[in-house]
Amino acid sequence: MTSKTVTVGSSVGLHARPAAQIAQAAADYDEEITLTIPGRPPAAADSSLMIMMLGATHGDTITVASDDPAAVEAITALIGSELDVA
Amino acid sequence: MLNPFKKKSESIYSPVSGRIVSLDEVPDPVFAQRSVGDGFAIEPTDGSFRSPVDGELVLVAKTLHAFAVRTHEGAEILVHIGIDTVTLKGEGFTGHRQAGDMVSRGDLIISCDLDAIRTKVPSMVTPVLLTNGTKFSMSSPEFQANGASVITVRRK
Repeated sequence: MTSKTVTVGSSVGLHARPAAQIAQAAADYDEEITLTIPGRPPAAADSSLMIMMLGATHGDTITVASDDPAAVEAITALIGSELDVA
Repeated sequence: MLNPFKKKSESIYSPVSGRIVSLDEVPDPVFAQRSVGDGFAIEPTDGSFRSPVDGELVLVAKTLHAFAVRTHEGAEILVHIGIDTVTLKGEGFTGHRQAGDMVSRGDLIISCDLDAIRTKVPSMVTPVLLTNGTKFSMSSPEFQANGASVITVRRK
């Protein structure tokens, strides 16, 4: 299991648009990828709804974990960027 | 004769008064391209947003611009009120229920001052989406539903 922490880069937090982009990217990997904010239930990264349920706002720290290090790198990079651009 | 192994379909209703439209008409590619999920959208004519189905309220956005209900069979239905409304940070919205509540179809979840908000965002069109479409299938939307169910969902 590899894990990495990242700060949410999207100004609106992980809502519809950023969550959909992360979930679509996560669906490309076979290994399970989880997103965790301390004190809240972990979210499966391939579910846009579960990502929205994390309630992550700009600047929150999220831990990305998976058995696939490439998946961790890819999802970490997405969470850290500004995704709310149409 | 009831078959307990038969997969049960569930009916999803419009969460608000207004014309039912295709997601193709939603002026935001993330919804029009079904990136969040497939479903339908409403052009709301009032600001009372209600649960479209019986189930558990699993999400009420902190910014009160979206909520989601998980049906008894497990389908996840997201109601996203308007476009770019996340940027309003909850202003103009009132939440009536909390995540974790069991809700019935028609229960008031979020209300808003539609006219006050309308001028601040690109559109108030409200997508209603099946977000776990990998596990559930969905019927074609009935755009003339007129109070009847708009889509039915069923576990694949």
